[in-house]
Amino acid sequence: MKSKQATFILAMGLACTLVAWGKPLAVIGLFVVSGMAVGSLYALGGVGLVVLYRTTGVLNFASGAMGAAGVMLAWQLGQWGWYEPMTWVAGLALATGLSLFYGRLIAPHLAARDTVVKAVATLGFALIVLGATSFVWDDDVRSFTLPSDQMAIRLLGLRVTVTRLIVFLTTVALVIGIWVYLEHTRMGLQMRALANDRHISSLIGVRILKVETIAWGMAGFIAGFTGLMFGDLVRLEPNIITFVVIPSIAAAICGRLDSLGMVLIGGLFIGVLESLLTLSPWLKSVRTVAPFVVAIAMLVLLQSGNRLLFGRDE
Amino acid sequence: MIELKDLTVRFGGVTALDAVSAVFTAPVSGIIGPNGAGKTTTMNVVSGFLPAAGSILYNGEVISRLSPHQRARWGLRRSFQREQIADDLSVIDNLRVMLDTLPGSSSQKRADAENALRVCGLEGRAHTLAATLNTYERRLTDVARCLVGSPKIVMLDEPAGGLTQEETQHLGDLILKIHPLTGASTLLIDHDVDLISRICEQTLVLDFGRRIALGPTQTVLEDPNVQAAYLGMEEVN
Amino acid sequence: MKPRVTFGTAMLLMAAAAIMAFLPMILGGQWIKILTSAVCFSIAAAGAGFMYARLGMVSLAQVGLMGVGGWVVLRLNHGFDWPFEINLAIAAAVTTVFGWVLALPALRMRGLYLALITLMAASGLEIVFSTFRFPNGGEGFWGVLPSVAAPFRRPLLAQSDADYLRYVIGMLVLGFAVIEWHRQSAPGRAWAMIRRSEAAAMSSGVSVVYYKAWAFGLSGLLAGTAGGLLAGALGLLDPATFRASESIMLFALAVVGGARFWLGAVLAGVLYRVLPGLFNNWGWDADLTLVFFGAALLHALMTAPDGIAGQIHGLLRGRGGQKS
Repeated sequence: MKSKQATFILAMGLACTLVAWGKPLAVIGLFVVSGMAVGSLYALGGVGLVVLYRTTGVLNFASGAMGAAGVMLAWQLGQWGWYEPMTWVAGLALATGLSLFYGRLIAPHLAARDTVVKAVATLGFALIVLGATSFVWDDDVRSFTLPSDQMAIRLLGLRVTVTRLIVFLTTVALVIGIWVYLEHTRMGLQMRALANDRHISSLIGVRILKVETIAWGMAGFIAGFTGLMFGDLVRLEPNIITFVVIPSIAAAICGRLDSLGMVLIGGLFIGVLESLLTLSPWLKSVRTVAPFVVAIAMLVLLQSGNRLLFGRDE
Repeated sequence: MIELKDLTVRFGGVTALDAVSAVFTAPVSGIIGPNGAGKTTTMNVVSGFLPAAGSILYNGEVISRLSPHQRARWGLRRSFQREQIADDLSVIDNLRVMLDTLPGSSSQKRADAENALRVCGLEGRAHTLAATLNTYERRLTDVARCLVGSPKIVMLDEPAGGLTQEETQHLGDLILKIHPLTGASTLLIDHDVDLISRICEQTLVLDFGRRIALGPTQTVLEDPNVQAAYLGMEEVN
Repeated sequence: MKPRVTFGTAMLLMAAAAIMAFLPMILGGQWIKILTSAVCFSIAAAGAGFMYARLGMVSLAQVGLMGVGGWVVLRLNHGFDWPFEINLAIAAAVTTVFGWVLALPALRMRGLYLALITLMAASGLEIVFSTFRFPNGGEGFWGVLPSVAAPFRRPLLAQSDADYLRYVIGMLVLGFAVIEWHRQSAPGRAWAMIRRSEAAAMSSGVSVVYYKAWAFGLSGLLAGTAGGLLAGALGLLDPATFRASESIMLFALAVVGGARFWLGAVLAGVLYRVLPGLFNNWGWDADLTLVFFGAALLHALMTAPDGIAGQIHGLLRGRGGQKS
């Protein structure tokens, strides 16, 4: 598997180089920085998806919608004059709340079904949340800003907004933190046990309900955070943010729905490639297809091992 | 003649099968061993579901380079611990799935399927939906599926699971008919020692992924090493 | 064995014949257009539905693939002089191949990957359609003129809206027939075995990837046909029709309608096209249709896996009818 990861990284690096060929370094640098910030959010979204999937068997298509609801609430409270940090807390709380609601009240009814059905059910929830969010906040041009948007630092001769810096650093920190949590804490161990074999885990005393609740909570928090950040960095529109789950899915696929490290790398590359495609005159209008192409490339790479479907998956 | 040569399977740090070699010449041979010994793993390797080192030969012909579905078309048949028949299909359609992949005229295939059902005593249930069958009938359908289309190797994984004494007896008689009817050699995994001693001329014993005995069934059952493995005592040397 | 014509089949054929003959005469112009559109989406829903019901395969790109079919029909119509049927056949073939290219990498892997890949494909197609738009008589590969659209040539048999509705209903029945033929022959049996387990299928000599690809190809064929027919109905296609969310909703409705049944596909198309219109008439916000469909999907998955059509069939069976 290591060689496949290396091939993937090489191929992505090549693609990025090709796209950026011949452009001035300063310009490339700008786009790479911007791409890394967005890419780290894709990666974070992907990590949230993977951790929840491995613990509960549910691939949560609704994570984008939950984040969208959160950021819209944060914006609205800001409009009503709330203290800014409180609006962020509220947004995060809503997203986490929606996630816990689904995880505790709806997901148990589908616990015995196969992973595809469980994922499709989250699609239904995504439609509900998106519909409700779009209903409450009509189509309008809005913007969500953070204080750190105004501040910037000079990094290697480039002007980097503090928001982007925070996003990148926080994301990497969260990914590492989650990895450490899973590998080195008792609860993390239990989550990994559940991911490995739910039935046996319950037999040896893992409190499934408690572990799953924590997983759904974490997923919701991550969804809320990415929602807030996407609202700031990309656009504040429920539809757009809901479907930002797609590049996150692409990042998750790069990690084979398993390896957090590859999810991070995949997400970053997707963000950077998508950003660099702005530089290409004929490809720039379709640059948002980049996540899809990367995911397909990863799947094709995974083929050549000819994994037979008889292992622990389903 | 079925030959397993140095079959080795590793999952992560666990060695599920450790260089297992065996030659089966009897029409019906047994594979026994305590739980976790690697019996089903062996069948999964022969089926082609697991990547493994080593090779599998039938009368000198290597089949381990074929993909699983190609092995089935070649003549490998398999039943599983939990019977795997399609609930949405009728009994005879379950057999036709196998026959669809093989050459031959449709009348030949129909005759083949009807014959297999007759041998198993299911001819009256041919057009019944599999979802409505009871456990015994489901097991029989699974076995019937192994009889169609000129099988060469038939592998049965605990076919008597969930059956009564009488049903197991009948099943044993049925398994004895496989070789005279089709010429195929059968490998049988089961925990019912009476069944194994009655119908298997030869038996392979596995423990912790290793072969600990292979030979005429009665001899193998009386082997002190085999008894030790089942009772969990140290090896008698 | 000859294909069995069941009670349900006979009912369907008679109902279709009656509807084809009389319905267009009763309805007003606006409703004919809505129903034509609904029937096109029913064809696509049938494709997504059978694949989900028989094999557990989820395609979240069915409307996107309709867009591909529609695009090809429009381009050929404006680029060449061939009859509608030829354009439609080519569009269906192109969509099938396009679908295979997208899906093949995912078919060897867990079923979840197919859902993921098709969702991403739907998103990608949304972007391509909104960037490059649909052909309307212009030059070049993309064939787009800034304003006036060139005329669209409908089939010779079906020039008027009423006749076109009949034509489209005929195609729907043909689509059902093709699916049913598959179900009763070798592919259908292989699919049922794959549904039981891939191990069982492989042990029965069935090449799982081949038959999954066949199923996906058939579903793509139906989507391409549906898209081409939609192009014929409207003469012009709008990118907003083929957004990723539309594919998700059509799939949701295929499940809600009842993925195992022909009636389910019909219900899916009707719910998809008629309900939003009704909601609009009642003054409900369009966003609420999303909520409604999402809730219906959740409900269907949790408590009524055979959908509305399944419940209807259950009632009929209680009175002596048969499942189709």
